[in-house]
Amino acid sequence: MRRPDAAVEAPSVADVPYRAFTPERRDPTTTARRLKLFAHYSVMVVCAAALVGPFLWMVLASLKTDADIRTLPPSVVPNPITGENYSRVVDAFPFWRFARNSLVVSVVSTVLQLVTATTAAYAFARIEFKGRGVVFGFYLATMMIPLQVIIVPLFIEMRNLHLVDSFAGLILPTIVSSFGTFLMRQAFSALPRELDEAAFIDGAGHFRVFARVLLPLVGPALATFAVFAFMSTWNSFIWPLVITQASDHHVTLPAGLSRLNGRFSTDWNVVMAGSVMTIIPILAFYLVTQRWVIRSVAFTGLKS
Amino acid sequence: MHTRTRAIAALASTLMTGGAVGASAASASAEDVSISYFTFSAAPDHLEDLDAIVEAFEAENLTITIEVQTAAYDDYFTSLQTQIAGGSAPDTFELNYENFVTYARSGALLDIGEYVADPDRYYALALEGFSDDRVQYGLPMTFSDVVLIYNKDLFDAAGLDYPTADWTWEDEQAAAEALTDAETGVFGDFQPISFFEFYKALQQAGGTFFDEDGQAMFNSAEGLAAAEWLTSKPGTVMPTLADIGGTPDFDTSLFQSGQLAMWHNGIWQFTGLNESGVNYDIVVEPGSVQSANAVFMNGAVVSEATDHPAEAAAWISFLAGSETTVDTRLASSWELPAVNDDAAFASYLEITPPENRQAVFDALDNIALPPVIERQQEMQDAVTQALESIVADGTDPQEALDNAVDEVNGLI
Repeated sequence: MRRPDAAVEAPSVADVPYRAFTPERRDPTTTARRLKLFAHYSVMVVCAAALVGPFLWMVLASLKTDADIRTLPPSVVPNPITGENYSRVVDAFPFWRFARNSLVVSVVSTVLQLVTATTAAYAFARIEFKGRGVVFGFYLATMMIPLQVIIVPLFIEMRNLHLVDSFAGLILPTIVSSFGTFLMRQAFSALPRELDEAAFIDGAGHFRVFARVLLPLVGPALATFAVFAFMSTWNSFIWPLVITQASDHHVTLPAGLSRLNGRFSTDWNVVMAGSVMTIIPILAFYLVTQRWVIRSVAFTGLKS
Repeated sequence: MHTRTRAIAALASTLMTGGAVGASAASASAEDVSISYFTFSAAPDHLEDLDAIVEAFEAENLTITIEVQTAAYDDYFTSLQTQIAGGSAPDTFELNYENFVTYARSGALLDIGEYVADPDRYYALALEGFSDDRVQYGLPMTFSDVVLIYNKDLFDAAGLDYPTADWTWEDEQAAAEALTDAETGVFGDFQPISFFEFYKALQQAGGTFFDEDGQAMFNSAEGLAAAEWLTSKPGTVMPTLADIGGTPDFDTSLFQSGQLAMWHNGIWQFTGLNESGVNYDIVVEPGSVQSANAVFMNGAVVSEATDHPAEAAAWISFLAGSETTVDTRLASSWELPAVNDDAAFASYLEITPPENRQAVFDALDNIALPPVIERQQEMQDAVTQALESIVADGTDPQEALDNAVDEVNGLI
């Protein structure tokens, strides 16, 4: 016996008349739909090629010899294929140390950004206080100030704190993200207030409501922000360039990779090999977190 | 080793090598001292060569340790400016001639005149290049000049005589037109549309960039001739600016693949050309009413804020003029040391190709140094953009130069 609240079952394929699939019975509406589908897929293939193309070129270029990379017109497929460029990258500078530095900085910074962004976002979304909107506006306005404008005062600040050429100097300026706060505030705002109220009635305080009730419900947004935070920290260039120059001890991969650019000419096959090695961690991180990111995009929430 | 013993050993070692600056440094070094050196010319190909120079210096100066920092040229000045503005400039660092004045006049550099024991060691014009208002702020380390590099096979195939030192623009133009072949994709000539080519062409045409009062005057008849000479090439005997686009090392690839007959470029290309196997030689660049050759110079300077001026000066003296440096640079083709020592270059001249390597030094007989002001980069951009507007937008050359002169005078 069917439960009264059970969904109506969809008809099985066997129930659908066979003639609906036969080509000779195709009506104009089906043809138009197929053409539309074809057009959609064509556009998607072109877009995908435009996005994947540069990465593919990067990988292929990293497998070319010095002579091959300079051929005019440029060839797409390496001939012969060489893996020497990868060992040249490792020989050119302390690659593994730079990779370790990048990993440490990116992981620590991402975790700290998640902490600061979620706690600030909770306050902006759930705690009523005077001037909340104005403060949040100022908070967002900081997104419009480029790093180049504040880099010298920031450097002086780090020097006064004796943090030049240190992990702390690299990480501290990155741990607060107004974009992340905005993203998480939107995620918290989408949750029904009844959840907090029920928790407050049960005797929970703000921290418990934040940590136990709301935070588990914004997992996809959290994962999305984690990807953004990790990527932006991993790819960060100018700040690591200026703050780590005193020695090689804390140089990150992008800053180190730029040293492959010669004064008068550059071996682009080696640079591309370095680039391939540099994006692997980001790619891995994204592959691990992508299902949450996609869920976040599709997330419609439990709107009150 | 105890500090005192090391100091005595350093002093003894320095006296044995006869380095006057080194002696003053060693005697000043009662304790171990670390000197930082920031450079754009070592990475990625010459880090080991720089390490060899550092090791030799530290062996002679046991109380001094050199901490090398490197950055790519494109990123170097971002980092350097931030460090200087932030009050933590490296003790010593590298500057090219064009940027030297900006830093000298900003007060960032130390007067090292008292530490230069042997000024005759350096090529006189290069030493002068790193002084400002008669104050010696730096020592010249290297120089490179620009020559006309040509593909011998393409000249042979066209039945043309190779370029000679007495060629003029007209000879180059005629050869370029004869060598350009659209069907085979061969171009006759390649000369970048840039500030650096313009100031040199201006001098070749008999003009000057600034008048006696320091005001820009390159919109003269000579300036017009120079601009027209440079801008006549793209799309005729060389690829268009659109073809070149943002492709890195486009001209290098073109020449190395045998599709370019004449190429205005620097002596730093020799190593790559020799590896590519292209059959080439060089000659002093053709002039117009006179010869003028571009020279790029890099020097080493001491930060005004260093706590160890004597040691820092000792290091840059070694870096610029020691025999170790000269030998290392010549052996690795790491630009040419700016020392006044013909004998040192004998081994360099023996290396072929190019057969006519002597042209590297012949070019020094008629040097055209780039005009420099404090707002150097902005001036360079203004001139380059004016030239590009002539080619890309069809702007009248005289109008483009007039506008550029106004812009440059506004920067002075």
